[in-house]
Amino acid sequence: MEKSNEQNKEMTAQESLDLISEMLNNNRRCILQNSAKHFILWGALLLVFSIVIYELLHVTRDLRWNLLWFAMPVLGFPLARLLGKKGTVVPQNVISSQLHYIWLAYCAFAVVISIVAMFEMPSCITLLLVALLGFAECSSGLLLKNWPIIIGGFILGVGGAVVAMLVRSEVQLLVFAAGGLVLAATGLIVKRQYQ
Amino acid sequence: MTMFPKLDPILHSELRLAVMSILIGVDEADFTYLKKQTGATSGNLSVQIDKLMAAGYITVEKGFKGKMPHTTCKITTTGQEAFNKYVESLKEYLSASK
Repeated sequence: MEKSNEQNKEMTAQESLDLISEMLNNNRRCILQNSAKHFILWGALLLVFSIVIYELLHVTRDLRWNLLWFAMPVLGFPLARLLGKKGTVVPQNVISSQLHYIWLAYCAFAVVISIVAMFEMPSCITLLLVALLGFAECSSGLLLKNWPIIIGGFILGVGGAVVAMLVRSEVQLLVFAAGGLVLAATGLIVKRQYQ
Repeated sequence: MTMFPKLDPILHSELRLAVMSILIGVDEADFTYLKKQTGATSGNLSVQIDKLMAAGYITVEKGFKGKMPHTTCKITTTGQEAFNKYVESLKEYLSASK
């Protein structure tokens, strides 16, 4: 839309439809680009945390380092809030709200399952969390109608679960590192698609 | 002779239509976002927002975010209906002119 004093002028039917379509597209692009920043942030955090915890477990052999996982949401949520406040406040639309709820649900599942695992220590926790991560990723792809994200989520969920079944527990952390990479890549794909 | 419905004069203005087109796709939007997306001046945007509000097409909530004034706009059901009717009328005009 042109920045001019002519903004209150009357338009032809075609000009009106073109304007509506331009505004809707700009809006959608802006909102989804904003969602992309959050994919990149959480992907990067997951990647860093899984590598750091893997290294600490590898060097010290002390399982208590797993408690460091709980620092991820503690660090991630304020950072995500800060990211949302930076620059113009971008509104939510139906798709961005649904994406938000999918990932909030994943976060709730991951935190509660991890707390339960602290007491019960089930060997299948990585399998469960990575399958859920892939499912959330795949659902995001379906919402965004983006095939690379759908396929990435499927490979991450199913592939990650199979790898988690085959490798010993310490190495399983690297499955999460791969998950972080896929998540950050999702953000980059969305950002590029709606630039 | 085909009779065409009269286009809604509130919506048939570039800036007001731009604002409504943004608000139709979101839960709500603040003044800064609308200003950025439309490229309008603050004064002009304020005047057009007031006209949309007077028509009952949007609601405006004024408050503060920290120490800064913060204005949020949201489309109403009346606004959604008017917008849909306006788009239908535009389509009728265009299909008749082909």
